[in-house]
Amino acid sequence: MSALILAWHSDVAWSFRRSPVAVVSLMVVLILVLAAVFAPLIAPYNPFDPASLNLMNGFSKPMEPNAFTGDTFWLGTDDQGRDVFSTILYGMRISLFVGFTAVLFALVLGVTLGLVAGYVGGWTETIIMRIADVQLTFPAILVAMLIFGIAKGVTPVEHRDEVAIWVLIIAIGLSDWVQFARVVRGATLVERNKEYVMAAKLIGRKPGAIMLRHILPNVLSPVLVIATISLALAIIAEATLSFLGVGAPPTQPSLGTLIRIGQGFLFSGEWWIILFPAVTLLVLALSVNLLGDWLRDALNPKLR
Amino acid sequence: MAQANAMLAFTIQRVFQSIVVLLVVGLVAFSMFRFVGDPIDNMLGQERTDADIERLRGELGLDQPFVIQYAKFLGKAVQGDFGVSYRQGRPVSSILKERAPATLELAAVSGFLAIFFGVVLGVFTAIRRDGVAANIVLATSLIGVSLPTFLIGILLIYLFAVELGWLPSFGRGDTVKIGGWTTGFLTWSGLQALILPSITLGLYQMTLIMRLVRSEMLEVLRADYIRFARARGLKEKTVNFRHALKNTLVPVITVTGLQLGAIIAFAIITETVFQWPGVGLLFINAIQFVDIPVMAAYLMLISVMFVGINLIVDILYFNIDPRLRVDRSSAEG
Amino acid sequence: MLKHLATALLATTLLATTAQAETFKWASKTDPDTMDPHASNSAPVFSFLNNVYEGLVRRDKDMVIEGALAEGWEPLGDKGWRFTLRQGVTFHDGAEFNAEDVLFSYERASSEAADTRSWFAPVSEVKIVDDYTIDFMTTAPNPIFPDSIANFMIMDKGWAEANDSTVPAKDTETHATLNANGTGPFVLTERQPGLKTVLTPFANWWDTAEHNITRAEFTPIQNPATSVAALLSGDVDLINPVPIQDAARLEQTADVKIIKGIEARVIMLGFPHQAETLKYGADAEKPNPFKDVKVRQAVAQAVNVDAILTTIMRGSAEAASQLVSPAMRGYSPSLAARPATDVATAKTLLTEAGYPDGFSFGLKCSNDRYLNDEAVCQAIVSMLAQIGIKAELDAMPVRNYWPELRADNFDMYLLGWSPGTFDAEHPIRFLAATPNAEKKLGSWNFGDFSNTRIDELLPQIQSELDDTKRQAMLDESAKILQDEVAYVPLYVQPLVWGARKNIDLTQRPDDFFLLRWVTVN
Repeated sequence: MSALILAWHSDVAWSFRRSPVAVVSLMVVLILVLAAVFAPLIAPYNPFDPASLNLMNGFSKPMEPNAFTGDTFWLGTDDQGRDVFSTILYGMRISLFVGFTAVLFALVLGVTLGLVAGYVGGWTETIIMRIADVQLTFPAILVAMLIFGIAKGVTPVEHRDEVAIWVLIIAIGLSDWVQFARVVRGATLVERNKEYVMAAKLIGRKPGAIMLRHILPNVLSPVLVIATISLALAIIAEATLSFLGVGAPPTQPSLGTLIRIGQGFLFSGEWWIILFPAVTLLVLALSVNLLGDWLRDALNPKLR
Repeated sequence: MAQANAMLAFTIQRVFQSIVVLLVVGLVAFSMFRFVGDPIDNMLGQERTDADIERLRGELGLDQPFVIQYAKFLGKAVQGDFGVSYRQGRPVSSILKERAPATLELAAVSGFLAIFFGVVLGVFTAIRRDGVAANIVLATSLIGVSLPTFLIGILLIYLFAVELGWLPSFGRGDTVKIGGWTTGFLTWSGLQALILPSITLGLYQMTLIMRLVRSEMLEVLRADYIRFARARGLKEKTVNFRHALKNTLVPVITVTGLQLGAIIAFAIITETVFQWPGVGLLFINAIQFVDIPVMAAYLMLISVMFVGINLIVDILYFNIDPRLRVDRSSAEG
Repeated sequence: MLKHLATALLATTLLATTAQAETFKWASKTDPDTMDPHASNSAPVFSFLNNVYEGLVRRDKDMVIEGALAEGWEPLGDKGWRFTLRQGVTFHDGAEFNAEDVLFSYERASSEAADTRSWFAPVSEVKIVDDYTIDFMTTAPNPIFPDSIANFMIMDKGWAEANDSTVPAKDTETHATLNANGTGPFVLTERQPGLKTVLTPFANWWDTAEHNITRAEFTPIQNPATSVAALLSGDVDLINPVPIQDAARLEQTADVKIIKGIEARVIMLGFPHQAETLKYGADAEKPNPFKDVKVRQAVAQAVNVDAILTTIMRGSAEAASQLVSPAMRGYSPSLAARPATDVATAKTLLTEAGYPDGFSFGLKCSNDRYLNDEAVCQAIVSMLAQIGIKAELDAMPVRNYWPELRADNFDMYLLGWSPGTFDAEHPIRFLAATPNAEKKLGSWNFGDFSNTRIDELLPQIQSELDDTKRQAMLDESAKILQDEVAYVPLYVQPLVWGARKNIDLTQRPDDFFLLRWVTVN
């Protein structure tokens, strides 16, 4: 409890309370995350249960009864007769899950490699940083396609659907780790020559312990900023991959898949199929971006 | 003299590393496409037989060991021969030559827009840090990066081509051929056709540059020599542009150089949406038809470009400031 | 310097505007792979090249065969067909057309490298009688031979030899990949693969031109939304296909009209008839329920085709009962009814078959091959769920789809079939005959459906010259396929084109777009 109070009075929290944008962004992100987590409780329908769908409900307009069945849907239905509101909630679950897990994966991988590269140096550093160069050579989309191709080749046919989401996570995560690695390595290079690290070395601490206990805490701020911005990027990358046809499968539509589906109805007058998922994605990515932006400024001592 | 020797050693080392990187990329690119789909199915029509399949497999060399296929591919790639497109039945190199001008022109215009507006808006938002207009620009730019590129493209088409009818919805318009280069810069319809795709493609990079310039400017504006310049009574404009902006340009140029490659890579999405006849569209089509030679050539080309840009940036850095050596973390923004 | 540039800029701008005013522009999803008429057996290539090249025969607006480069043809008893060639026809380069060119084109189109080889499987020999008479001898009586070669296009022998293009270019580039020299109504003047292809009218065409085009420009546009936008903004005059959901909206747009028709392609569900076990879902490795005709019947009755047609197809498709559409030769009008949608009966059938609680399995589907294919499969999943059988949908691009089907990786799959001969015999040969690689039979019968009577009937149908007897056998085959529920035919894929209001054109059921029937008003 006292830790919480301490946190509330810290510099960062002070700057947070002073920034209405940050407060609103955080609230929006929290609401969306909670809505996604509790989707099965909130959503009026389960769009992933095919037996509950009635095709004749398809293309119902928002707030208007369907011409054939008389059912009314708050945000309308898509081409399969799925309730758009419920589908967004369930879709957001997948988008956020993919986003969080991919960033976590990139963070663990990038921070570890960055620490090792910066602390150990020499050939290890060269190899890691050249791999990072190779990684940078391939834009995220190409990396994802590469991983999809390999996964398709090595996964038995009957498990492809189950692994699709994980392939997506690895694809996005792998294209993101370089940022973490570069920043952490840079910071480590600075830290490792400082007196306290020297002191730790002298008293015989192991390199692993030094990296974790001493260097890591000092590079957490930039990592946090990158992680937040990466989350927004990961959510968008997922949508883009879906647009290019290598994203979340239609049986488990994410926000990106929903937009891809809705894009087909942009000209046909069923605007609600694309608009609501697109707005949700925008609000989600925007709030995360704003939060990251604020975090970047707040954690940068030079700007305070 | 020692300086020149160090320079040479450094350059050789980096060139060698770049070649290794390219070899690995080539291997990855080539092996990746051995797993995606089956070209035979796309090349033969619906009335094929098993004998046809075997025959074609043999003709294309797909029945040979993987290593041999790769070695052959590399040997030829070095000479600029990427083989014959499975789908079009034409040399990949001549297809790439036809398509490259479209992508390069689009990338050049997008790059220019991104740099120009990025720097101008970056400076503006830095100087007017707490101004309403600056915050609106910042917020709008965030909306820009929070929307997927393909959605921005479709919205622009919907608004400017369909609803308003001001600009063409797809393609390059009329082009003029000068030597082996086709250009859209010399016709009215060609220029019109450039507007929407280059905005779509450049928006993201513009935001990046703008934010980078802004944060660098903010830091520089706090530096002692700027405070000193102000204290000396220099005009605000002189301080901002002569001194502050000049000092932010080094990281900006570095990042922009690296982003140039990204623009060409991200052109895939823009070209798909706008049916822009460049290499990105070629690549997406190649994926659709599992056209391995085209895909491999494209990936190699992009890698050569990225690695080349990386190499140049590193060497430039070494020249500008030897203390920096290989460490470019300050340029990561 | 700057002034010169400005003048040049102005000049090119003016030129570009004047050239545009007379151009007819159209767009389609796929670019023809090649301009070589014998190198690729694919609909986009034939549709496009029918404007440039011509065959001995061609199809008119109603798909009926009529003379093109042949003025007439007659059977040589049971042994083959004799074609009398049209005189005074010239190729685009001015060379004269005669029987040598037909023989040359036959040799080229049936050569090892040709993708069109299988058309000539029944042909034993081709003999020149005189300059304007040529005989195609067949190994067995072949009543539909003239019908089967409407896309067999004639190339000038001299031109091919002079340009080193005597062999179809499949994995190499020849002159004929990018250039064309036919006898057809349009001359290929510019070819940029994947970007733009330009045609201009052929002044010395032997037939009377009905069109008024002075220049035609083709652009492939893959993204459906982009093509709709291009039509709406007037950047193109015709798009094919129109995404079906956009048809209604486009119809209400003042400058645009929709041309709808019924295509030859029947969309259907296929089953594994021989597999011992299921491959996907919770019941993988358990015995294959689809071997039981009752289960297949239950599927047929569970799928509400009308609902699919009303919503996903927006009312612009027709239900199908057989493997061919009513527009095809040999369709069986007496078997036009498809099983009624009836969830209760379907459940009873499942109970009788021993699956009162249903089962789960995997449904394979393409997502870029047929109109709204993925949406249709999703709808089928939810319809089958209502009778308690749980389908796990795996939708994939067609580049991965055919290999999966060929490797028997399915418990049920979606397939569309368009008979290349426009005859009911075609799907029996490809989809219903017991697979036999040697005889080129059943090559798309992925589920290994096998029925002795069908295998007996097929050769008889192929060689029967009497139309009534032939129809009786086709009817019998269609009846067997319906009773056995070899496939569940769903609907005939609709054909939807969109054009600017000032364009008059003819839409042929094979989805071929022919410029010679286009008028710009």
